[in-house]
Amino acid sequence: MLKRLLFGLAALAVLITVAGCEEAREWRTADISDRLPPLDFTLTDENGRTVDESDYAGKPALVFFGYTHCPDVCPVTLARLASVIRQLDAEERDQVQVLFVSVDPARDTPEVLEAYTDAFHPRFVGLTGSKEQIDAVTNRYRVHYSYGDKDADGDYAVTHSSAVMAFGRDGEPAFLTRDTDSDAALIDDLEALLK
Amino acid sequence: MPALSFTHRLPTLLLGVLLLAAGSAAAAELEATDAKLRLLPGDLPGAGYFTLHNNGDAPVALTGAASEAFDKVMLHVSTEEDGMADMHAVDAVEVAPDDAFTFAPRGHHLMFMQRSADLAVGDSVAVELEFQHRDPLSVTFDVVSPAER
Repeated sequence: MLKRLLFGLAALAVLITVAGCEEAREWRTADISDRLPPLDFTLTDENGRTVDESDYAGKPALVFFGYTHCPDVCPVTLARLASVIRQLDAEERDQVQVLFVSVDPARDTPEVLEAYTDAFHPRFVGLTGSKEQIDAVTNRYRVHYSYGDKDADGDYAVTHSSAVMAFGRDGEPAFLTRDTDSDAALIDDLEALLK
Repeated sequence: MPALSFTHRLPTLLLGVLLLAAGSAAAAELEATDAKLRLLPGDLPGAGYFTLHNNGDAPVALTGAASEAFDKVMLHVSTEEDGMADMHAVDAVEVAPDDAFTFAPRGHHLMFMQRSADLAVGDSVAVELEFQHRDPLSVTFDVVSPAER
């Protein structure tokens, strides 16, 4: 009798936990649902077209800020996103959008951005814009960036926030991931975002 | 006739064997392995990664690199602090005797800039690693996709 009661209580506890999870899922990566505003921007896409968040509505979006003259950190992050997306089920794969926002509009024309993002995945989207348009987005998402000194050839490095932010189908902020998060954690969170 | 021809060749063969032995002894003292260049499109800079093994009994200082396929090659390091990624040039990288140093993603890398030759994934590129007080080391880098992890 006591055993049955204990079993019943344990089952109830499991049910309550499961129900709790469904109401507000705890992301395995960092939760930004209460920390950042919904997706909102006006930028220029790889074809030179002016776009805003409504052009990407309906599918979750992974947003990453960087620059194309970045041979080490940005490729590592973009390669990781491409690899993680390949590990999703076929029907889920096409549902994830990757938006690479350049913080170096002086060098990153739509053409350069298209070639750069295509080197990682043909459907990755490069976005750029005027300095004002880019600053409106970086300020909104508390993303920092700054330019290093130019060398004799005019080359310079750009310091930038390295995290990737994930937004849901309606542009609602969801989670933030860094390259130190495991693939498994990011895949779990992406699958939850796709449900 | 074949016997005579062999006798003729013998000194050349011996010389060849001696040269090979000398060559492998020198390579063993300092060698670079797993050399890869992640190629980016157009004139965008690409990163080079490798492991430098110092099997000699004196420290070595890597001070730079050069390649006929790029007009400018720099030693760089990526750093990350408070969620901000940064990158800057490095003057030299020292490797102690019986030690190795790996140039790897998110850390030290060669920055290959101003490409002067057509390159595609699958090609290989000759690179000279330059050292203080020591002859350069020729290393062949495999050209790979940046999407490779």
